[in-house]
Amino acid sequence: MMRWRYLKQSAFFALVRASALIITLTLGGIILYILMHGYSVISWEFITKPPTDSMTQGGIMPAILGTIYLTLGAIAIGLPLGVASAIYLTEYAIQGRMIRLIRVGINCLAGVPSVVFGLFGLAFFVIIFKFGSSILAGSLTLGFLILPTIIGASEEALKSVPQTFREASLALGVSKWQTTYRIVLPNALPGILTGSILGIGRAAGETAPIMFTAAAFFTSKLPSSIFDEVMALPYHIYVLATAGTNIEATRPIQYGTVLVLVAVVLGINLVAILIRGYMRRNKRW
Amino acid sequence: MDSNIIIKLNNVNFYYGNNRALTDISMTFRKNKVTALIGPSGCGKSTLLRLLNRMNDLIDGTRVEGEILFEEKNIYDPEIDPVEIRKKVGMVFQKPNPFPKTIYNNIAYGPKLASNNTGDINTLVEQSLKQAVLWDEVKDILNQSAMKLSGGQQQRLCIARALAMKPDILLMDEPTSALDPISTAKIEELIEELKKNYTIIIVTHNMQQAARISDETAFFYLGNLVEYNKTEKIFTNPDVKHTEDYITGRFG
Ligand SMILES: Nc1ncnc2c1ncn2[C@@H]1O[C@H](COP(=O)(O)OP(=O)(O)OP(=O)(O)O)[C@@H](O)[C@H]1O
Ligand SMILES: [Mg+2]
Repeated sequence: MMRWRYLKQSAFFALVRASALIITLTLGGIILYILMHGYSVISWEFITKPPTDSMTQGGIMPAILGTIYLTLGAIAIGLPLGVASAIYLTEYAIQGRMIRLIRVGINCLAGVPSVVFGLFGLAFFVIIFKFGSSILAGSLTLGFLILPTIIGASEEALKSVPQTFREASLALGVSKWQTTYRIVLPNALPGILTGSILGIGRAAGETAPIMFTAAAFFTSKLPSSIFDEVMALPYHIYVLATAGTNIEATRPIQYGTVLVLVAVVLGINLVAILIRGYMRRNKRW
Repeated sequence: MDSNIIIKLNNVNFYYGNNRALTDISMTFRKNKVTALIGPSGCGKSTLLRLLNRMNDLIDGTRVEGEILFEEKNIYDPEIDPVEIRKKVGMVFQKPNPFPKTIYNNIAYGPKLASNNTGDINTLVEQSLKQAVLWDEVKDILNQSAMKLSGGQQQRLCIARALAMKPDILLMDEPTSALDPISTAKIEELIEELKKNYTIIIVTHNMQQAARISDETAFFYLGNLVEYNKTEKIFTNPDVKHTEDYITGRFG
């Protein structure tokens, strides 16, 4: 009897361990593969120079910069809007059918394919608002794309702030808004960032939403305002792999670009993790 | 209203949704006295306490009938701002609940945000901590997180935090039930001291505590005020059999 239970337990552990191993191996495999194929083209030149010779030579600097701009723009739009929505939903709204409906809507938004966001951005920001294909239009589109992730993460983080903190503050005669702003929000911020990291990574990596709204096939000049279009890493990869003049010749550059994109996404995550870690100190309850 | 009376309840009913938690309560609280609210679990003590600083407003679906007069005005009058009431009616909770901030900022938080504060914050922090008899223990670690204090120290910090708002009334909901006997004794001493300047209304399950520190005692049962009198009278010669049974522990 004991033995049977012991066996069952070990079998279960083995299974769990195997799953973890498979995930790690897959991830490691992908990164290793990219590294092996891509690292030979990585050089100071590659990340600081624009492409030359119909993009078969030179670097990818405009695309790196473009992706950074678009990601920062998406954060600048998605984070305040998402956090504000979450504050409304958790702290202010009277929970009822209306709020349930809004939540369903947000969840649906999270499931909408990214190409639909791209078309929406094209119709709405590029054409109706006349932003043209630009950093602004692309950032807005990506900002809306990551909105559901940020709202979801922020709601969880806000709900995890102990109710006793709110009561303590309100009982002092501090207003609801001040309580939210001074007590609830600072304590929820690490959680908000943790969840938002997922959205930020997605904003950096998506191709479809920026294809029609921001990304240039090729431009050697750097953007001078938010109304300029930019190159972007995901779209550049797509272009090199499918539409370039000489796809085979650019293979190493493609891998190099992928490697840089992965590094940029991981870099953004790392920064967010560091900020979170910094804010978490002294925040134990 | 008699100048010795600070709060007066007239025929107050309170509902959580359709459940009535308080039935037709009429009573007065006397200024600069300690009033103890006692009664079995669920009889409505906390509900009554939270009515006095409008904390029950935070719960959806609650309803108040009757009036609660404070400074001649019904605090449930639609034109009264609950935030203003809470500045004058401070509250200490059952479980110490300091903010995850430094000791200093726990105290300074309320006064800094309250627009009517003009004085020097440093002085106010010191004064409040002294009033709560915590100053000597924390004066060198004001910038340390309040979460690192012991439970008893945290509770005195919460009292100091409430006092920093210079309220007229201090509501305490079982303030010592989460504390050890030594911390409890300290808080009881503190309450003795505070009643010179404040009106204190305290909920307690500890009969000895009610007898030791309060001037008046109100006994509640199932949302009704059963008996309300001088503490001495309640504990030596109550009018109602029910009260006697409760304080002698014959039913819980
Ligand atoms: N938030 C709430 N929602 C609905 N009903 C509530 C709520 N809080 C309290 N009640 C109900 O109101 C009644 C009085 O509760 P209250 O908390 O005032 O009792 P109490 O005397 O403080 O009890 P205890 O000694 O256990 O703290 C109880 O029947 C309780 O179930
Ligand atoms: Mg209670």
